[in-house]
Amino acid sequence: MLPKFSYIRPDKLDQAVAQIQAGNAAIHAGGTDLLGCLRERIIKSEKIVSISGLEKLRGVRETVEGGLRIGALTTITGMAEDPLVRKKYPGLAMAASEVASPQLRNQGTLGGNLCQKPRCWYYRGEFHCLRKGGNQCYAIEGENQFHAIFGHDNICVITHPSDTAPVLSALGAKVQVIGPGGGRNIAVADLHVPPRDDVRAETVLDQGEIITHVDIPPPPAGLYTSYRKVRARRSWDFALAGAALALVMDGDRVVRASIVFSGAAPVPWRSREAEQALAGNTLSDDTIDKVCRAATAGAKPLRENRYKVPMFRGMLEEELRKARLQEKA
Amino acid sequence: MEKNDHDDKQGNGYSRRGFMQFIGVGAGVVGASLLSPPLRRPLKAEDVGTIFPASEMVKVRLAVNGTVHAVLVEPRWSLLYVLREIIGMTGTKIGCDRGECGACTVLIDDVPRYSCMTLAVEAENRTITTVEGLMKGEELGPVQTAFVETDAFQCGYCTSGQIMAVEGLLRKVESPSPEEIRLGCSGNLCRCGAYPNIFAAAGKAAQLKSK
Amino acid sequence: MATRDKIYYTEGLPVPETPDLGTQPAFWKKTDLVGKPIPRVDAYERVSGTAVYPSDILLPNMIYAAILRCPHPHARVKKIDIAEAGKMPGVRAVITGDSKEAKGVKWKYRDMEVPLFDSHCRFEGEVVAAVAADSWYQARDAAQAIKVDYEVLPFVVDYERSLDVSVPRVQEKGNLLSEDTYSRGDVEKGFAEADIVLEQTYHTQCELHTPLELHGCVANWDGDRLTVWESSQGVFAVQSRVAEALNLPLSKVRASGHYMGGGFGSKLWPGKYTVISAMLARKAARPVKMLLSREETYLCAGNRPAGTMRIKAGVRKDGTITAIDFDCIGPSGAYPAGGVQLVDWLARDLYLCANVRTRGRDVLINAGPARPFRAPGHPQGAWALEQMIDELAKAIDMDPVQLRLKNVPLKSQAREGTPPYTSTGLRQCLEKGAEKFDWQASLERIRKFNEQNNHLRRGIGMGACLWVAGGGGPPSTVVIKLFRDGSINLNMGASDIGTGTKTIMAQVAAEELGVQPAIIQIENADTATTQYATPSGGSKTVPTEAPTVRNAAIALKQELLAAAAEDMEVPEDELEYIGDEIIWSRDAAKRLRITEVSRLKKRGVMIGTGYRGPNPADKVVNPFAAHFCELEVNILSGEINIIRFLGVHDSGRVMNRMTFDNQVYGGIVMGIGFGLTESRQLDERQTGRLCNKNWHDYKLPTAMDVPLEITSLPIELDDPESNNTGAKGLGEPVTIPTAAAIANALCMATGVRFTRAPVSPMEVVRKLSERKEG
Repeated sequence: MLPKFSYIRPDKLDQAVAQIQAGNAAIHAGGTDLLGCLRERIIKSEKIVSISGLEKLRGVRETVEGGLRIGALTTITGMAEDPLVRKKYPGLAMAASEVASPQLRNQGTLGGNLCQKPRCWYYRGEFHCLRKGGNQCYAIEGENQFHAIFGHDNICVITHPSDTAPVLSALGAKVQVIGPGGGRNIAVADLHVPPRDDVRAETVLDQGEIITHVDIPPPPAGLYTSYRKVRARRSWDFALAGAALALVMDGDRVVRASIVFSGAAPVPWRSREAEQALAGNTLSDDTIDKVCRAATAGAKPLRENRYKVPMFRGMLEEELRKARLQEKA
Repeated sequence: MEKNDHDDKQGNGYSRRGFMQFIGVGAGVVGASLLSPPLRRPLKAEDVGTIFPASEMVKVRLAVNGTVHAVLVEPRWSLLYVLREIIGMTGTKIGCDRGECGACTVLIDDVPRYSCMTLAVEAENRTITTVEGLMKGEELGPVQTAFVETDAFQCGYCTSGQIMAVEGLLRKVESPSPEEIRLGCSGNLCRCGAYPNIFAAAGKAAQLKSK
Repeated sequence: MATRDKIYYTEGLPVPETPDLGTQPAFWKKTDLVGKPIPRVDAYERVSGTAVYPSDILLPNMIYAAILRCPHPHARVKKIDIAEAGKMPGVRAVITGDSKEAKGVKWKYRDMEVPLFDSHCRFEGEVVAAVAADSWYQARDAAQAIKVDYEVLPFVVDYERSLDVSVPRVQEKGNLLSEDTYSRGDVEKGFAEADIVLEQTYHTQCELHTPLELHGCVANWDGDRLTVWESSQGVFAVQSRVAEALNLPLSKVRASGHYMGGGFGSKLWPGKYTVISAMLARKAARPVKMLLSREETYLCAGNRPAGTMRIKAGVRKDGTITAIDFDCIGPSGAYPAGGVQLVDWLARDLYLCANVRTRGRDVLINAGPARPFRAPGHPQGAWALEQMIDELAKAIDMDPVQLRLKNVPLKSQAREGTPPYTSTGLRQCLEKGAEKFDWQASLERIRKFNEQNNHLRRGIGMGACLWVAGGGGPPSTVVIKLFRDGSINLNMGASDIGTGTKTIMAQVAAEELGVQPAIIQIENADTATTQYATPSGGSKTVPTEAPTVRNAAIALKQELLAAAAEDMEVPEDELEYIGDEIIWSRDAAKRLRITEVSRLKKRGVMIGTGYRGPNPADKVVNPFAAHFCELEVNILSGEINIIRFLGVHDSGRVMNRMTFDNQVYGGIVMGIGFGLTESRQLDERQTGRLCNKNWHDYKLPTAMDVPLEITSLPIELDDPESNNTGAKGLGEPVTIPTAAAIANALCMATGVRFTRAPVSPMEVVRKLSERKEG
């Protein structure tokens, strides 16, 4: 059950910023992650500032340059079904439609999806783990079949739960943030914090900062995007292995490749090795094989998640073959 | 309890408004003037909007099935708790209280949501529809009728949530494909495993609604 | 035939002949209502939101309870401080093991009696203290504010290590709770006679019931009489357990649960929480609602134990199974609860085999005790046996359906005296199922599909079963009341746990009385107003209650005939009951409407009481089944897509085709969860605590995980010996062979034998990459 908290519903964004800055406040947007975190005492705020009524932070709009600006309060369903998103970045719509369950997509927001807390069962459970201020990551020696194979540095082995962040990162999107010190923008690729930098933080946002919207640069000619998510059941589940692809194609040649994994690492995991193996090449069987090997070359699997290495390879192979088919069509 | 003046708007008026809000594609919804240049002026702490203190019961007005209920709640109380234990409408069920089963599904502005993951204070000024709200007097609504005719339940405990999920789906898509139905039902667990009949019910309900 | 005025709601349906007193009713040859796909009699209540489940009960002045549970798998409570909790807002009562109310109150795990509040906590989730407060939130706040000093003790949660000498003891006598053996023939001789002998070890994971309605109750005292509304499969079990714990006469405990939101075995009896609710209600002098949190139900509301099964089997090239040797180990949990109960039954009894030996070791671990879970032991046993049968078939190059067909038993070989089954529909299940599924042609089609050699591979597989019970039996008492206007009330103690019991009983009574089922009002599952019934479980509710209802209807008819004989002044045995009238067989003009029978008019009510008679002596009533599955595996990602499923069931007479099919679908869905997604995960190497105590981390199949094509094919054999309705149980066989059929299909698709359930994409990728590397 939820602990006691006071609830504040500002009418304006500046009120919200002031309220969040003051005291140990937490932001309520859709609330789907927040309420769970309060219930599990992961977030110990006694003050909830609800921005859900700030309608100006909701909706998708085309920018003058031809990119998209998506309000942070846009629901996941809103993104998945938005005609502009579907046309310009089908991979983003695919990712959004794979999030959680229909009801949670109807309620959860883009901002919340980017800022959600990890789903590690030790972190969410009654285990005083490193990320919660304890002195051990239980998952390293424990039940780690759902955990990270990259970027954990044996410090904290959570996987980042977001489906939209990998796609946005691959697209070079930026989050617009407003806070007590003013506004700033942060590349989605730089938004999340690896354990080696700070094991207690998931994002680089300061207390009091609110994501107001996400800017996605205009799609370059020949852009192919996709998102794939392998999971233990086909609804309401986080990725065992997932991949966002943003490939800029010139005929059958890949000019530029962004490949970002979900279910792989404590942050959305950019596979520079795979990108390098792919860039400049055609999507031949040989290239695909090399890319898949490169993608998992640096993996550091744990006792129970060695399967992730072949799973990432296999899933990526399938995705690249799909991309090849699509380009031929 | 007072009668809601929106009572007669249960039909299309409300549906359309909810739909537009939900899709939210209105041009220029992100006001550039508001967000850039960044806000730099000093903020006044007293300028806060609405405040509900933690230790006090606060009054909220919840429009449920066309009736406004003014109830005293703690800010932390879920809409589910208030519907069931305070207002006494127990058609909406509690299964997990953590957004993982769907038994508590209600429509908020025509859109299916988990009432266990919705604070009662967040549901103010929204249109809430529960399974009881699908009845026409003592007559079953089309989705409920379809559930009876296709035997789309066993123990019946997940059923009101399933019905609300289907109702929400059909308010958005008039005649969904089998795959759309499956997706629409994919946020509601049925441990008895009546899914095949639930899919059939959704198909039948679409027919009944179009009549 | 003269047209008669219709009284009230009688439809003039043909009525079976009323047997004389003391004679058995004839088996129905043809039925008019029984078997029909009639919508449920309580469907309106369930879809309108008006059905009041126990968790929906709201009483004036009701308060809410919460339990504080031990967070350690093994600990001793040294000190409890309730001072702060007791002073919190809204708190009305706090009870701990130190409270005077708790002194001497016991709880029983099978034969083992323990204190209700036991300071020696042997599993995570054991009760430590309880609170009642004005709101649910306040109750939880207060429970969390109770301070407990624990002496944390060493634990064991890995059942495969529980018998090691170095591990801590869960109970003083050690961790081996029981070792059961069974033997017939000579297994070694059998293996010597075999052309092929195979041996394999299979594992199944711990499965949790997780019904949608939380475990819980509302308790209220009216003077010295306690009423408990409990989400339960059996209100009389609630009554007796609560009365025993609180030392009350049965008459002073009323247990009621007209609706209940699923149990699957976990609600066959009440929990400690039920007794605690009653204690809190007495102490606070207020009605108390206690719903466990979802997380609590994962810890303390039972489970299907994990199991390790080694099976060795021999077969001759002609398909004769010469020997089966089966060994299993599984955990009860921290208290006796049937850790390997019936796991070996299919190995013993499903197929013809002269030489069988089994051993089962039930062990203790520091985890929540098991409770019976839909067909206890059988899905696990089928997982091992049915995969082994497929392996044997492959080894002798015989079709797996054919190998099973060669070994269909007509007698129960594992029972004393090898009694025959009243009916064995296994042959028909296999033959008709293979035909309906298009088994042979599908094999060909799939071979071709897989020759394309892309990353999607298909497979078909099947599995068969019987269910050890399912014949029902005494005791049960049912009362049918006829009111003076001709309307009917059926009064039955059994719960309808979602299988459609109420609807089927209305059909049975209507069939016998010649009225429409809809007009029969059913009162059930209330110890104060209905008669004794055993809990609804074991697939025995229909075969137990249906004959009882029929007997009650017949008793009512006999009473009516006797009363009418007085009015009409003709011998009773010359009268005939035809629904709304009684006629004289010698002169049809002499007739009396039942509402004109003077005894009924004078008394205002007439009652027929039915008792469940014994099952046939020296015969066994078991249901049989076969499941067929087609699926597709993505060998790159490990994802499994089940394409279609067919469930073929011999459960005797189909009582309602609609609820019958629904049971079949539901059993298959649950079997898909058992085979593919569900697994309790304990933190074995560190804390021993449960990792996945919610529906996100413990994964039930969703709407996306079940095939769009699920088909049910009933094999309806006349079984007049089983009982006077010919119905056998259905609710459990529907989930027994499902997972094994999936595993067999997976093996065909991938060429790999998956011996560990559940087979998640993780397991598929793991095994396939092992093969690649190996």
